[in-house]
Amino acid sequence: MTMELEYNRDLYGVEHEAGPFEITPELIQTFNRSIGETNAMFTDHATAQAAGYSGVLAPPTLVTMLVRNVELPDIELNFGVMRFHAGQRVQSRAPIVAGDSLMASSHLKEVYPKTGRSGTMVFTVWETTFTNQDGLVVADVQESYASRE
Amino acid sequence: MPDQNGPFFEDVDLGDEIGPIELVATDDNVVNFCELWGNPMPNRFTSQEIAEKSGLFGPIVPGVMSMAIMSQALTDWAGPESLKDLDLVFRQPVPHNKPLLVSATITDTREEDGKNLIECDVLMMGEAGERYVGGTAIIALPSNRGQ
Repeated sequence: MTMELEYNRDLYGVEHEAGPFEITPELIQTFNRSIGETNAMFTDHATAQAAGYSGVLAPPTLVTMLVRNVELPDIELNFGVMRFHAGQRVQSRAPIVAGDSLMASSHLKEVYPKTGRSGTMVFTVWETTFTNQDGLVVADVQESYASRE
Repeated sequence: MPDQNGPFFEDVDLGDEIGPIELVATDDNVVNFCELWGNPMPNRFTSQEIAEKSGLFGPIVPGVMSMAIMSQALTDWAGPESLKDLDLVFRQPVPHNKPLLVSATITDTREEDGKNLIECDVLMMGEAGERYVGGTAIIALPSNRGQ
């Protein structure tokens, strides 16, 4: 039997924007420190320059931290009482380099139920696209939140 | 790819395993991460009391940080520009100050749009076999053909 979900379907196709986010060397450095990242391409300006970049590279998941700055509306899902971060996907489209300025644009990607041994959960997936100062898409991030009965 | 220190596409095969690579997210690491992330503290990631009120055993590693740790393990192996797609499911809360074992198994190798891609199942486990985070990754590797 198909489960009929109640939520605000008018949110499909609506983009929610935020930014610009300045990708400074300090931001990358602090991110590196918090996860113990030591690769010279992420930490050393001279190494990154020697490889042809204008500054150090941002580790590929740095953009995932910026997503929370996008104000997303309540989808008014009429299901469940618990909500938790169930999954996340990052797709790197182009290098992100210190000095870049990124814009974020998020939209509701899908809402779907899934039934397993522990019962039914409903997943809400938001997708955020990051674009740099040249209009180049550099990354897509999907965040999935589960609501449980 | 500059300064290639990682594997070449021709070096890897289906079923090959990467790791396990052992990493630890300390209390300080998580506090630093939350500060940067902009998540107001204390929270369930940094406070025993708040975590317990949320039904957790103690403060946990944020999912976003678990992803960063797994990404780091993969780029350590394959190179800083190699990771194209990382798709993770957060299965269990991840504890602070405990060994986190990140591993990957190669499930596909292919050439696509001029890139040499490998696909992996990735896993973050605890010492007692707890499966904290699982998922898939797509990694681009350089070729050594013609060298």
